[in-house]
Amino acid sequence: MQKGIILVRSNLRKAKGQTASIVMLILLASLMLNLWLMLSMDYKQNFDRNHSRLNAEHVTLTADDDSDEMWDFLSRTNEEDGRMAEFSLTHAMHMVGSFEYHSGEINSELVFLEKETALTRPVGKIEILEDNSKYTSGIYMPVLYKSEEIAIGKQIELFVGSNKKSYTVCGFFNSLMAGSHNCSITEMILTEDQYRKLEEEGYAPKAVLCSVRIKDKAESEDYESMLKNEVSLRYPDLRMESNSYTSVFQSRYISQMICSGIISAMAFFILLIALVVIASNIINYIGENMRNLGALKAVGYRSRQLIGLLLLQFTGISLTAAMAGAGLSYCLFPYLNQMMISQTGIPYQVRFLPLPFFASLGILAGAVSLTVVSAAWRIKRIEPVTALRQGIQTHSFKRNQVPLEQTKAPLQLALALKTTLSGVKHNIIIGVTMLVLSLVVVFAGLMVENVIADISPFIQLIVGETADSCINVTAEAEEEFKRELSRDKRVEKAYLYTSLEVRHVDGVGLMATICDDFTRVNNKHGVFQGKFPKYDNEIAISAKYAGEKKLEIGNEITITANGKAADYIISGFTQTSNNLGKDCLLTRAGYERLGELQNTSYYLNLEENTDIDDFNSEIKNRFGAQVNAVINIESVIAGASSVYVSLMTVIVIVVLLLSVIVTAFVLYLLVRTMLGNKKRDYGILKALGFTTGQLILQTALSFMPAVISSTIAGIAASSVIINPLTSVFLKNIGIVECTFTVPAGYTVAAGIGIIVFAFAAACLLSIKIRKIAPRTLLTGE
Amino acid sequence: MKDIVLKTDNLSKSFSSGGVMQHVLKNISLKLYRGDFTVIMGASGAGKSTLLYALSGMDTPSIGKITFGDRVISEMNQDELAIFRRDHCGFVFQQIYLMDGMSVMDNVLSAGLLVHRNKKALAARAEELFASVGISKETQKKFPAQISGGEAQRAGIVRGLINSPEILFADEPTGALNSKTGLDVLDMLTKFNEQGQSMVMVTHDMRSARRGNRILYLKDGVILGECDLGKYVHGDRARHEKLSAFLEEMGW
Repeated sequence: MQKGIILVRSNLRKAKGQTASIVMLILLASLMLNLWLMLSMDYKQNFDRNHSRLNAEHVTLTADDDSDEMWDFLSRTNEEDGRMAEFSLTHAMHMVGSFEYHSGEINSELVFLEKETALTRPVGKIEILEDNSKYTSGIYMPVLYKSEEIAIGKQIELFVGSNKKSYTVCGFFNSLMAGSHNCSITEMILTEDQYRKLEEEGYAPKAVLCSVRIKDKAESEDYESMLKNEVSLRYPDLRMESNSYTSVFQSRYISQMICSGIISAMAFFILLIALVVIASNIINYIGENMRNLGALKAVGYRSRQLIGLLLLQFTGISLTAAMAGAGLSYCLFPYLNQMMISQTGIPYQVRFLPLPFFASLGILAGAVSLTVVSAAWRIKRIEPVTALRQGIQTHSFKRNQVPLEQTKAPLQLALALKTTLSGVKHNIIIGVTMLVLSLVVVFAGLMVENVIADISPFIQLIVGETADSCINVTAEAEEEFKRELSRDKRVEKAYLYTSLEVRHVDGVGLMATICDDFTRVNNKHGVFQGKFPKYDNEIAISAKYAGEKKLEIGNEITITANGKAADYIISGFTQTSNNLGKDCLLTRAGYERLGELQNTSYYLNLEENTDIDDFNSEIKNRFGAQVNAVINIESVIAGASSVYVSLMTVIVIVVLLLSVIVTAFVLYLLVRTMLGNKKRDYGILKALGFTTGQLILQTALSFMPAVISSTIAGIAASSVIINPLTSVFLKNIGIVECTFTVPAGYTVAAGIGIIVFAFAAACLLSIKIRKIAPRTLLTGE
Repeated sequence: MKDIVLKTDNLSKSFSSGGVMQHVLKNISLKLYRGDFTVIMGASGAGKSTLLYALSGMDTPSIGKITFGDRVISEMNQDELAIFRRDHCGFVFQQIYLMDGMSVMDNVLSAGLLVHRNKKALAARAEELFASVGISKETQKKFPAQISGGEAQRAGIVRGLINSPEILFADEPTGALNSKTGLDVLDMLTKFNEQGQSMVMVTHDMRSARRGNRILYLKDGVILGECDLGKYVHGDRARHEKLSAFLEEMGW
């Protein structure tokens, strides 16, 4: 063992640069791996921990009826269901509302609760995370919305329906099931005086908030459907809103899911590069140290011991680097946590997590050990005598692939090509690295084009349909409203686009989007397979739901609503993430087989330069109480998407930066190895009259065939696979087929950029050649 | 009157070794003449190779001046020296130093193509030189590890001569070869010198030194003495005796 350690230390001393590069690669891989494992193994569990701590509900339902009869009905319905564990009913007010957030607008179903009531609910408690005793009259908001504009002591303007209210922000709270607009329901806590005042103003109907804990949380969606069904059967026209543990759990962790997907991909890519580099290092080491290995074998070392020494050397440095990387991930996790919290809105306490830590170390140590053993296995074939005579040649003499006499290439290029063709291992490492870098660059381009620069493609994919304005009017006012729109020159297009919940008899509740004519919608890719429904017996359903229920296009399904049932033929598959993939599309005639629309939402495309808010106000003034809600869709998108834009910007920057660092390390390693291996050749060439510049150019050029070919292949392949790959990350929210535009110009420019970067880096890293003096060839006087 | 091809004035070279300065060459003033076969002799550590590499622009002097024609090579930077070497010097090394990854022909052409653009003319010149040292077409295609030491050194001579250098510098060219092969190599060098090639050769082998017409004896970094042997004639006993006497006088 002592001898082994001495040999390992001697090896490490001889290859400091290579060791440092491997350490950096493993450190980065470990950092990413541990972040990914922490995010995927513990981060979501934080939801459950908070859920238990606050005795949060698994099903929430708010219904716009606060009568004793409703309370009795809900109590009875819950008590009669054996799945229920406990429930609570609370007086509340419920109305669609909006407020400004991150220079956009948040539009959600707001449920107003009185502070003390909210704090003392037996089920579905909230916790105040931050407040100030100075402010005793005002509003407490979900902590998600805490920002520069929304801060304690500041005023917030809140639209309750179409009535503007101004409140002093008294504090922020954590609510698991209603603490974000992603939950369908957003709770707002008012101090008692403000609650009474809003009650008196009558801007929000009185409602009951029903929170139910069930015995098996896996049944939350079913329970929610049951509860909604029961209520709608008994009170067909009642306005209500609900959510379930499953849907809230998924929707509050969309960014975590995307982020952890990307981090895991990066971790494995970096690990792959590190393993290829280690394997190549070992093969080189064996080639260069054939005599030493022969000598060690001659004095009695067994192959197993020699392989063991390499295993000790590489596993040792890998484990050390992995521990440092995992440790470093704890320094970065708080920043990542802040980013995540801006989407989840659920506080998370960073702490040491032994399982992800040791799993990271285990994965890395295992992968490195396997690589070392397989690469070092050839030591078994070394015969001591042959090795001592250096009889095992590392150069192939099969063919002179670039004979200088015949080649038309200039001398520098021809010599570079000779080096390229003699370095298969180097080419493989470069190939793998450039393929990964190309993929990352194409991904970055995709995100810049479809999320960061213009979020519309992302929104169209996630949300489905977008327009300038959405106006919800009562059924009675619909005809007059349509006439008014047709007269208004600012309205370029108006179409019915309203959402209601229906139920698939063999499954759960589906969010049905009803349109009078789907050929008029803006997002023509809403149905990505098959076609939009055209007739009253057609329905398009989400691909995710169809997959779960094994439904195909052409199958007939039964949908119920308002106590009626009707059969529909599946005409196509949608993939919007609304309701996390539990959605469907119906024509108006199709829906009317189940019942009449009580109110209708119209999507409007307005003439350019029309002030959407002014237009909405005009409509609101013109139709008064017949308008239930007006939404500036552009503003809502800006508000809701800002968190995704900033998250994606950070991800793109970090991922690009990491890739550039990794590529630079790999190139450094290769150049160092090459300079080490070819030191004698460089000396000879210098003696013959080659200048340092020529040798640097030659070295950099020798990497270029592999760089150029793998970059072209990488960019081309990535452009093709990037959409399917991105859809893998978004699979859980119902996206089956990504249709993002791959920016061709950017991609070509990025490819050229990668090649130029690699060339420049190789030149810079080869500058050490100037230190190689021809006089090193001097031997003995 | 002979043409001076290279001249040194007060050439000194010092190295720092373990914090101690070692003065390897001390104040050497020397003239090398066109067409001469100059031999630098001396014991191990006398500074022979250091002088050879300083003269050839492979290394720079610590003090002093080296002039080639009207150009002061001791003031050149590394790149200028590289261009000087490729244009005016040829080298034959003791350890031969052919590049393992290149065929024998490519080893020669890699030096030649640095100077010559006309690949056909260059290949013809290489062919002519290979023929003159007895290397077959078959051998030219082989890699260094596939040929004998003698063949490799002959290929090394071809590489040294491919650019028709003004001076061919040879550092112990027979040092790594057996007696018979060494003799062949010396015959070739002699032949090229007879054809007008200026040469400077470092050796501590008397048999090799005999081939030169001018012998410089180096001791402790200074030229201790010089001997003019005149034109080489095979089997000239008097020449041998003159060299022996000179070396004896020098303390060889």
